[in-house]
Amino acid sequence: MTPLTSKVCVVGDFAVGKTSVVERFVTNQFSEKYLSTVGVKIDTKEIDFPALGLTHKLVIWDVAGSEEFGSREMAYLRGASGYIYVADGTRSATLKAVERLQDQISEAHGSVPCVLLVNKRDLRQDWEVSDERFDALATKYNDAYQTSAKTGDDVDQAITRLAELIIDNDMRGA
Amino acid sequence: MNDLDQLKELLFGAEKQALDSISERVERREIRTADVADILPEAIHQSHQKDGELVESLTQPVGECFQRALRDEPETYADALYPVMGPAIRKSIMHALRNFSQQINEAVEHSLSPKGMKWRWQASRAGIPFGEYVLQKTMRYRVEQAYLISRENGLLVDHVHHESSKIKDSDAVSAMFTAIQDFVKESFSPDRTGRLESADMGEFTLWAVHGPHALLVCVIRGLPPKSLRADLSAILERIHFRYGDAIREYKGDTSTIPDVEVELERCLQFEAREESGKARKGPPVLIVILLFLLVVAAVVLGVRNWMYSQQQEKLDAALNAAPGIYVTNIDRSGGHFAVRGLRDPLAMEVTDVAESLDIAGERLSVSMQPFQSLQPGILAARAAQMFGKPESVDFSVSGTTLLVSGDAPWAWRQTLQSRFSNLAGIDRLDTSGLQATDRQQFADGIVSLNQRKFFFQSGVNFVEGDQDKLREFASELAKLKDDARGFGYSVSVTAMGSADSIGDAAANAALADRRASFAASVLASAGVDARIMRQPELRTADGQPREDVSQRFVQIDLQLESLPDLP
Repeated sequence: MTPLTSKVCVVGDFAVGKTSVVERFVTNQFSEKYLSTVGVKIDTKEIDFPALGLTHKLVIWDVAGSEEFGSREMAYLRGASGYIYVADGTRSATLKAVERLQDQISEAHGSVPCVLLVNKRDLRQDWEVSDERFDALATKYNDAYQTSAKTGDDVDQAITRLAELIIDNDMRGA
Repeated sequence: MNDLDQLKELLFGAEKQALDSISERVERREIRTADVADILPEAIHQSHQKDGELVESLTQPVGECFQRALRDEPETYADALYPVMGPAIRKSIMHALRNFSQQINEAVEHSLSPKGMKWRWQASRAGIPFGEYVLQKTMRYRVEQAYLISRENGLLVDHVHHESSKIKDSDAVSAMFTAIQDFVKESFSPDRTGRLESADMGEFTLWAVHGPHALLVCVIRGLPPKSLRADLSAILERIHFRYGDAIREYKGDTSTIPDVEVELERCLQFEAREESGKARKGPPVLIVILLFLLVVAAVVLGVRNWMYSQQQEKLDAALNAAPGIYVTNIDRSGGHFAVRGLRDPLAMEVTDVAESLDIAGERLSVSMQPFQSLQPGILAARAAQMFGKPESVDFSVSGTTLLVSGDAPWAWRQTLQSRFSNLAGIDRLDTSGLQATDRQQFADGIVSLNQRKFFFQSGVNFVEGDQDKLREFASELAKLKDDARGFGYSVSVTAMGSADSIGDAAANAALADRRASFAASVLASAGVDARIMRQPELRTADGQPREDVSQRFVQIDLQLESLPDLP
C-alpha cells in the first residue's frame, strides 16, 4: 500500500488527558498516574486504509498543555496536517481554552483539518458540558467526539477520522 | 471548368490549396516520416518532462530490442562494453580484496592482543559480533545514518543507514529532532535565527546541515573532520537542486520525491579508519606475543634445567651415601640421567634410590659393575645372607669384628663360629650379645632330671614300677647324652646306691653297691655309662642304726660339663 506520513498535533489545556488519549490510541493502554508533559512528546501510529490503498502514518506531537500558546509551542505546530483538540468534559473552562487555542492556530496556520475530543466520558456524571453546548461546538470543528482515554471510547474513531480528513484535504489540495 | 467550379475557385481557392497540401502530406508516407522526425526529439523531451509515462511505455519494447540485439550480435556489444567492463570489474575486485585483506588484518591484529580480548568480552556483553565491534572501535569516524527532514513540518523525507546500525522509529526520531531544533531556536536564540548544528551522544555525534527546505541530519560514529560538513552540505545542495520544489511541497507522500535515497546514500560513504601507520609505531602484536612466549619458554626451560641440575646433585649424594654403591659418573641430558659406577649385589637398586628422589625409571639409564663392598652395612648383610641369619638375630660390623646379638640356636652359633672367618673383611666374631635359648633349655632339662631316685623293696628288688621307670629314665638319659655334645656339653652319670642301717653295716654297704651296680647295669643296657658310688650309711645322732626303708634306693646323679673348646 502507498505510504503517507502526516504530522498531527494534540493540543489542549492542562490535564485534559492529551497524553492519555495518545497513549490509548498508540498502545491501547491507560495509566492512572498523571505525568505532566514537558515541551513535546512524539509518537507514531500507522492506520491502514485498504479501500484507498494506502497506509497513513501519523506522527503525533503531543504538545504540553496550555491555555494559550507561546512562540515555542507555536513552533511545534508548524507544518501540522491536522489537530486534535482535547478538552475535559468535567471542566468547562478547558473548552474555552480549546477555543482560544484554535483561534490562535487558525490565525497562524490557516484552516487545517481537526477534531475535537471532549474527554473523560467515563466521568459523565461530573460533566460540566451540556449536550447542547457539545452539539454547538461540534459544528465549529470538523468532528467532535465524547471520548474516554480510560475506557478507550471513541478515541480510535476520532483520530482515525482526523486521518481521513487529512487524506481528503491532501487530495483536494492535489 | 464549369461555373460552379469557377465560383468555388474564387471563394475557396486559397483554402483548397492548403487542403490539397495537407492531404498530400497525409497521404505521402515520406512526408509524414519527415514531419515526425522533425518533432520527435522535442516530443520525447516534453513527454519525459511531463511524467514518467514515456519511460514506462518504452521500457518493455526497448528492453526487448536490447535483448534481441544482444542475442543476435553479442560480439558487437561485447566490443562496445569492453572498455567499460574491464576497469569496472578490476575496480570491483580490488575493492573486495582490499576490504577482505583489511578485515583479516584487523581480525588477526585484534584477536590475540589484550585489547582484543577486552573487546571480545565487551562485544559479547553488547551482544554484537566481534568483527563488527572491532570495526566500530577501529573506526575514526563513519556516517552511520542520514535523515532528510522537511523543515516545514518535520516529516521524514527519507532515511538511510548502515546495515549494522540499530534503527528506532525513524519518523519519530525525525520529529523529535525537529522538536528539539525548534526548542533550541525558540529558547536560546533571541532573534530565532540560531539553530542546532551538532550534538554529542556518547560515541555518536549528530550533525545537522540546514538547507532552504530540508534538514540533513547525520548520525556519525567517532570524531568526524570539519571537512565532512562541507561534503554533507554539497550533498544537501545537490538534493535541493534536484528535489527542492518537491521537498518544499512535501506533505508525507514519499512518492513525490523519487530516488532521493540514492543521493542520501552518498552520506554513508563517508568514513575513515584508524591509520595503519599508527599501529606500526609499536612492535607488531604477534612479534610481541612471540617474544613473550620465547621469554616464557626460556624461563621455563631455565627453571627446569636448574631443577634437573638439583636432582642430579641429590641423586649423586644419595647414591654415594647408599652402602654398596660407588658412582663414578652421572651424565645428564635434559631430564634424563645416565649413572655409571660399581654396585654390590647386596646394595639398594639405583632405580629405587632415584625414585625416592622423584626421578622416574624412564628418566634413568644405569650401567653398574658388580663388586664386593666392605662397608659395615653390606658386610652385615652379606653375613646374614651367608649364614642364613635367623630373624631373632642382629648383625652389625664394627671395624673388622662381626657383632652378633639376639637369640639363635646353639648349632647355628657353632656354624657361625666355625665359618665367620670366610667372610672377607671380618677377622673376629663377638657373640657376647648372643643367647642360645635351646642350650639353656637343655641344661635346665638335665637339672630337672638330676638326683632322680628309684626305690627298692628289699635287696635289689625294686618297688613295683621303679625298675620300669629306671629303664625309661635310662632311655631318656641316653638321648640327652647324645644331644649334650651338640650343645657343647658332656654329661657324666653316677649311680649312687643306698641302703638302710638295719643290720650289718658291711652287708648294707655291699647291698648299696649292688643296688648301684644293678642300676648302672640298667643304664648301661640303654647305652649310658655310669659310675658307681655308695651313699654313706645314715645313723641316728647317738650312732644307732636307723630303720628307714626310704633309704633303700639308688640315686642317679647327673653332672653337666662344658666341652673344653667352648667359651
